[in-house]
Amino acid sequence: MNLTERSASIDIENVNHLFLGGVRAVNDATLRIHAGEFVSLVGPSSCGKTTLLNLIAGLIELQDGRISVAGGAPRAGRNEVAYMLARDCLYPWRTALENVMLGGEFRGVPKAERMARARELLKHVGLGEFEDHFPKALSHGMRQRVALARTFSLDSPVMLMDEPFGALDAQTKLQLEDVLLDLWSAEKRTVLFITHDLNEAVTLSDRVIVMSPRPGRIIADIPIPLPRPRSVRALQKDPHYHEIYADVWSRLEEGLIQVGALPQ
Amino acid sequence: MNAATDSKKSHAVLVMQIMSLAVFLLLWEWASKTKTIDPLFIGQPSKIFAYLYQSIFVDQSLLKEAAWTLSETAAAFILGSLAGIAFGLLFVLYEWLERFLDPLFSGLNSLPRIALAPLFLLWFGLGPTSKIALGFSLTFFIVLNNTVAGARSVDPDWIVLARMLGASKARIFFKVTLVSAVPTIFSGLRLGLIYALLGVIGGEIIASQHGLGQLLSLLANTFETNGVFAVLFFLAVLGMALSKLMSALEAYLLRWR
Repeated sequence: MNLTERSASIDIENVNHLFLGGVRAVNDATLRIHAGEFVSLVGPSSCGKTTLLNLIAGLIELQDGRISVAGGAPRAGRNEVAYMLARDCLYPWRTALENVMLGGEFRGVPKAERMARARELLKHVGLGEFEDHFPKALSHGMRQRVALARTFSLDSPVMLMDEPFGALDAQTKLQLEDVLLDLWSAEKRTVLFITHDLNEAVTLSDRVIVMSPRPGRIIADIPIPLPRPRSVRALQKDPHYHEIYADVWSRLEEGLIQVGALPQ
Repeated sequence: MNAATDSKKSHAVLVMQIMSLAVFLLLWEWASKTKTIDPLFIGQPSKIFAYLYQSIFVDQSLLKEAAWTLSETAAAFILGSLAGIAFGLLFVLYEWLERFLDPLFSGLNSLPRIALAPLFLLWFGLGPTSKIALGFSLTFFIVLNNTVAGARSVDPDWIVLARMLGASKARIFFKVTLVSAVPTIFSGLRLGLIYALLGVIGGEIIASQHGLGQLLSLLANTFETNGVFAVLFFLAVLGMALSKLMSALEAYLLRWR
């Protein structure tokens, strides 16, 4: 895929968001994610990460500030933006293959074309032999692989992921991270990835953005200088990775202490 | 090993069931023959089976009446289900319509439907239409309520996902909301079918020229107890067959569950 800065970047300027009842969820967020970058957003739970993501996705209306995604305003259902959740959200009445074909079907891609694409992606995530299985017959990890294939099926240059592996056990999570990195390096996309797992953020990302507890403010923007392609499993044993992890962790701690979220 | 024990167990149960039934029928036959209990009240198994044989295989009178009842039931079920699903979907799409019609529908649904039979006879006459109307009035509300419940309980994340994948509102409604409601609609259909039969039989018993209900009422009024038991037996088998048919259809259509 050919990513240009205009077609695949995410630009967030001075975004504020108040929930009904006056709870401030996002506080003056400014962030630029370049085309082809893999950026993770970490922070304590309910710090406004998901709110920010849903603003970018166009699922929540923007109240204050400016957001530009893939050269346009946020709107749910744009071709340019794919979206993935912690829950696989597979439709139980559709087979694995039919679930991966869903996006193409909604967007009027010809049947033969969307089927070929879905088959290719299912093979890529290691489920080539399971295309006719209904979700009930698949394990959690397999279902999330199908969801991953579905997310990639639309060739959207921008992908928004809200803790996609948050509900998986540690082993399966590592496997799925590898599958994601593999897909991502084969088909470059701009990824904004929300997680509360710092390990995961460091392993996958080019940059880790840290948000403070509510009201969510961006308190650190840390580049991850690990070479690519990366292997998730190899990284677990790599001392350089652990150095970087410790560095990110101390900067996160520093940021949290500064905003008073952690004691000195 | 486990499956083998299970099948052995179910065999044993079947043998027990058949033996108990045989003992029960023999006791019944004896009580009736010796007039220990007045056969006018309980009939006599051998004569019940003779009636069944005669009316099914010889003069086929039972089958002819059953054809009336079944076709009325089918009409009541199909019309009631279609109307129930249509109104259910309209209620989900337009909540104001549900709020507007709620007092009327709640009132009608709380009414013992058989109480409407005299009115239906007056409106639609002695023929099949009044029976179909009665069956319809039962099936309609059951299927309606299940359709609304099913469509309302759609997983909100499924809707969000469909929106993000670029589905239009109409697509979301038909491909997500409606499909996800099918299991709940189906349990309504299964119940609705049995209730359609109930309404039709009830209507036939009250006043009719044809049908199993009419036959039942005629036999009872002329003290043909054996005939009454034969028709009841036939109805039980018919009801079970209809239920099984629906279950088989459900198992096929909802094989993803």
